[in-house]
Amino acid sequence: MAPQYNHIVLPTLGQCPSASARQVFLALKPQTSPARALYIHIPFCSHKCDYCDFYSLVDTRDRQNVFTDRLIRELRALGSFAPEPLNSIFIGGGTPSLLDASLWERLLGELNDSFDLSRIQTGQGEFTVECNPESTTPEFLGILKAGSVDRVSFGAQSFEPEHLKTLQRLHDPDRVELVIIMAQDAGIVRQSLDLIYAIPGQTLRQWQRDLQRAVAIGVEHISCYNLTYEPATAMTARLNQGEFTPADEDLEIQSFELAGKVLGEAGLMRYEISNFAQKGCESLHNLAYWRSESWLAAGPAAAAHVGGHRYRNTPHLGQYLDFDDQGFAPIMDHEQPDTRRALAERLMMGLRLVEGVDSDPIYRAGEQINEHLCDQLRECVLKQIEAGLMAMQDGRWQLTDAGLLLTDGIVAELMDVVYQA
Amino acid sequence: MTTDIKHIRNFSIIAHIDHGKSTLADRLLQATQAVTAREARNQLLDSMDLERERGITIKASAVTVHHTHNGQEYMLNFIDTPGHVDFTYEVSRALKACEGAILVVDAAQGVQAQTVVNAYLAIEQDLDIISVLNKIDLPGARPDDIAMEIEQALGMAAEDCILVSAKTGQGIDELLETIIEKLPQPPAPTTNKTRALIFDAIYDDYRGVIVYFRMFDGTLKTGDKIRMMGLGRNFSITELGKYTPKPEKVKSVGPGETGYLVAAIKTLGDVRVGDTITLENSPADQPLSGYEPPQQMVFCDFYPSTNSEKKNNDFEELRDAINRLSLNDSSFTFQPVHSEALGFGFRCGFLGLLHMDIIQERLEREGDVEIVQTAPTVSYKVQVRSKKGLIKELEIHNPADLPDAGTIVSIAEPMCRVNIISPSEFVGEVMKLCLERRGIYKHQTLVSATRQMMTFEIPLAEIIYDFYDKLKGLTSGYGTMDYEITQYHNDNLVKVQVLINAEPVEALSLICHKDRAEFRGRQLLTKLKKQIPRHQFEIPLQAAIGGKIIGRETIKGFRKNVTAKCYGGDVSRKRKLLEAQKKGKKRMKSVGSVQIPQEAFMAVLDQSE
Repeated sequence: MAPQYNHIVLPTLGQCPSASARQVFLALKPQTSPARALYIHIPFCSHKCDYCDFYSLVDTRDRQNVFTDRLIRELRALGSFAPEPLNSIFIGGGTPSLLDASLWERLLGELNDSFDLSRIQTGQGEFTVECNPESTTPEFLGILKAGSVDRVSFGAQSFEPEHLKTLQRLHDPDRVELVIIMAQDAGIVRQSLDLIYAIPGQTLRQWQRDLQRAVAIGVEHISCYNLTYEPATAMTARLNQGEFTPADEDLEIQSFELAGKVLGEAGLMRYEISNFAQKGCESLHNLAYWRSESWLAAGPAAAAHVGGHRYRNTPHLGQYLDFDDQGFAPIMDHEQPDTRRALAERLMMGLRLVEGVDSDPIYRAGEQINEHLCDQLRECVLKQIEAGLMAMQDGRWQLTDAGLLLTDGIVAELMDVVYQA
Repeated sequence: MTTDIKHIRNFSIIAHIDHGKSTLADRLLQATQAVTAREARNQLLDSMDLERERGITIKASAVTVHHTHNGQEYMLNFIDTPGHVDFTYEVSRALKACEGAILVVDAAQGVQAQTVVNAYLAIEQDLDIISVLNKIDLPGARPDDIAMEIEQALGMAAEDCILVSAKTGQGIDELLETIIEKLPQPPAPTTNKTRALIFDAIYDDYRGVIVYFRMFDGTLKTGDKIRMMGLGRNFSITELGKYTPKPEKVKSVGPGETGYLVAAIKTLGDVRVGDTITLENSPADQPLSGYEPPQQMVFCDFYPSTNSEKKNNDFEELRDAINRLSLNDSSFTFQPVHSEALGFGFRCGFLGLLHMDIIQERLEREGDVEIVQTAPTVSYKVQVRSKKGLIKELEIHNPADLPDAGTIVSIAEPMCRVNIISPSEFVGEVMKLCLERRGIYKHQTLVSATRQMMTFEIPLAEIIYDFYDKLKGLTSGYGTMDYEITQYHNDNLVKVQVLINAEPVEALSLICHKDRAEFRGRQLLTKLKKQIPRHQFEIPLQAAIGGKIIGRETIKGFRKNVTAKCYGGDVSRKRKLLEAQKKGKKRMKSVGSVQIPQEAFMAVLDQSE
């Protein structure tokens, strides 16, 4: 008897394909344009960080080999639905760098075989791998380079040992500079760093030092995340037990603003709430998410968006390994295409970008839903403009700096208009 | 057809909640073969879902059964009473229809406050009382101790208690025997005119109002033209019957008996419990004594909750639901009101707090409306001086209606006599609670070696919200209370107003003692600060007495409300979170641009720290 997830009965082998990704692809309309982005999830970690709510596991059963076999079967299946050259690939986790070197070679080889990587290989696309400073080696970077990877993203988080300890990160902060040089030496010149602010105990001054150090390293892209207490994480449990005092809101706002200032002065412009890049160096792959484009997903817990469908591969390694529908993975949380939902998501994701959303396709979608919706949306936007939270420029709706800090509330109001219409 | 008065027994069963009144009633029905064991599995006399869920009886009913004792068939009419103090008047009417009462006490839990109040009601009506110790099958049963409690608290001889287990049936035969031998027969008629007491009435969708009555003098027959003496309304009986407990039609009901009648009565407003039925063409000179109109003592407002999907129809739906419910329960009152904060709604009056909860639940359940309920208040009597210096009295159910402070001569509030039974070790705590609530200590007696009964005079306003919960908490759940409204009493009372974002919100104002006004005002603001969610702007909260600000709090505006990480895998979850955020606002009311959740309106009467 197969276990159940969210009312979807997972398929047993060769049976009940309704809950496998294959059914989604078979249901796609012929005119659906193929996805140009691919996300791959490697679920292994050496330990689970306290703030992390991504799907990852500390593998005690030596399942890397079977996992790679299974992932390759899935990539082959997906490859037949991606006839056009991919714009971007992003391999995240977990800790992708924990996967064995020989397995990486097989994985990268398979990507080359199953997908058209010509755009990536000619520098018009982007192929990113997420790396942890402590497990990244020159050999590993060499394998990535040989497999067409042209961008690495390192989780630096902080340069202060005490804050790394709070986050339960294992690396030596000085190692971040080292791995960046390693990547450069390996020929992977596009690099990004992740930083976290509003860590309990962190001062504005310390945050400024972190930013300055990241700038000095000379990467083209930096992500700065306000520490978030996700439900059901160890960090949240520790917070609830009173182990530490969370940063107050004023400090969070000052840190948010300081990131814009320090990075902006260094030529890294905020292009999304938490992301900064030199001009032209924005993450193509992440832009696909924020612009509501389609992408394929492989690996356990990976989420996909194809032809208006959204779903997630089973977030359970055992099931992912055991159930195989002609290569496709068992899925959950499947949402059928829906004009209203798509519009709400376009607003929710698109307004995170400084470029905002193009009002034209929004109006077109709005007209399909209800004759009054466009007026109601415009009215809602004008109200936000009056409050100084939004702006309209070249037919695009954008959040102002003040608005970006209040994104969720503003988006919730716009979404409500969409759902009530 | 009519039974000889010598062979009729009319009695009620009275008990503290959960002491097994309904189970005992069912067991008696079973013993007299009125129902099969399967039917008796459920509590037969309680008919509404809500009653069964709460384990209490809201509507009294009368059941007639026959039992043979020493070769003679007897007619036993037993009249079920609502157990709760909110319905004291109804209980007293039901008791008036009886000659005897069975006082049920749980053999493990002992005498409780409600037992005492109910027993006194029966004593006041001059009923003969049979004490029954129920649940003697329970391992914790202490029949000897509890029998002594009954003797000590109520003055009824311990050795007269009958030991019963309604669950196993033990003692039921003895009880039936005692009912027939110890309870008196109904008194002989005192007049040759017809007089029957209405002790209950219910509304039936198909037949209109069904009236339960007890014949004192004369006989009622199908087709009789009758008159309600108090209301002066005339009707014609189309159906007479008895519940056995299935309804069975009869042609006539004679002296000493109980029954029901149907007479094309359209609403419960045409019938009053306690009224006397007589014949239209040969009316009695005097009605039976004791009739009183129902007294609404607790008031609150019901508003439809904001529901943008349906917009303006909410008020209409609420009105329909209230109208429909009023056909079923004539003891709550309602009138349309308008509030700045909450729009159009109804001010409703109830017999007590439980009654209020029941009505709210029934409206939501049966009427399918979502209600925002304001904090309950009591009915104040306010003396005001007019411009010409004349003094007149107003009845105020809502702090918002209080006239200008300058014109008020005095404000009087209803007082209660509160009986509390508690284990002796908690007496100090209970005393403290009562005194904090402006209670006046009256007296204290021992119920048993370890439990005491205390009596206080406490303003009703001080007990209508969380008093009972507090008492339960202080006494580890062992304390029980009951109250009876006694009289109105003048005190130095003032109105405290609340302003949210500089706008007065009348639904949040309160009347309280002047000495406590500042404290209560500040306390309320602290609570509101917790209850009202942050907005994108700063919200000042103020408390004021007659324009003078006595307290201030500020709800800081949101300056930051943004998800740090939102990538491809977060879309669905994030979208659902944002949708849920909006749905959460459904049960809120807007005052200007401020969203106030329903709980905030209940904060007014919550005096906890």
